Amino acid sequence: MGFTALAVLDRAYRGAVEGQYFDALYGVQEFHALLGRIDLALRGLAVTLAAPEGGYRPALDIGQSTFDTLPDYRGSVQRMAEEGIVVMADEGDLVRLGFDPAKVVPGVQVVDTTELATRWPDYDGVWFL
Amino acid sequence: MGGTGLGAAVPATAPAPARPRRGTRHWDLLLIVTGAPYGSDMLTTALRLAQAVLRRGGSVRIWACGYTTMVTQTHLGELKPPNLRHPDRPYPSMPTVVRQLLAGFPGQVGWIGCTACSGERGATHHIEEVRLRSPARFAQTIAASTRTIFIGGA
Repeated sequence: MGFTALAVLDRAYRGAVEGQYFDALYGVQEFHALLGRIDLALRGLAVTLAAPEGGYRPALDIGQSTFDTLPDYRGSVQRMAEEGIVVMADEGDLVRLGFDPAKVVPGVQVVDTTELATRWPDYDGVWFL
Repeated sequence: MGGTGLGAAVPATAPAPARPRRGTRHWDLLLIVTGAPYGSDMLTTALRLAQAVLRRGGSVRIWACGYTTMVTQTHLGELKPPNLRHPDRPYPSMPTVVRQLLAGFPGQVGWIGCTACSGERGATHHIEEVRLRSPARFAQTIAASTRTIFIGGA
């Protein structure tokens, strides 16, 4: 196996209309394909990317047009898990933000904060995105 | 005693609030957007807010300051670079988004680019729809709006 890294994502929502597809999740997917294995750990507000949300529509009305190319964060997380990328969500942060750790996007592993930190030595690198 | 070369001395008393010139157009809302794009959903929020006011028939002016001046640069083109995971799908660039906003509500919305912030960042090639304005006209622009919302950091 090639290079391995744990990508830690704490900050979410960094510009839906200007970023569109080009967000941190896109970067993880591309680096995973290029380097070998990039696992993703969602912490802080970014754990919300693993919380199912039925009302969000990745579209924005601008002028008389509708731009439907905004990021679909939870869809991306689910696809990443389906494609074999390990996606973890910090259990403590989920609870602190009022989410049920048992109800996350399918394929996401809910991991205790301390347990997550003990996994750092398993990787060649730990990246804070 | 020589001068410092750093500019004029601060006046002892605060200047009187700016008043719009006679005949100056009045706007319902001025959005001063100063924070950096790609760092938060600040710009998305500002655009949603502008769209909502425009849909209700109001008039909106957006003063793009700081790194927000980068989003209307001509070299960004009409489309973003290809998404390698969906290479056939077009994604509009920010200049295209701004153009759509302005074209969608003719006469109701204006986009101002701050000349000082643009110059500081080398962001001096705005799309032609952007009106450039010196920060010296900041107070006058605020005075020409019923409401002003300042969004973002320096």
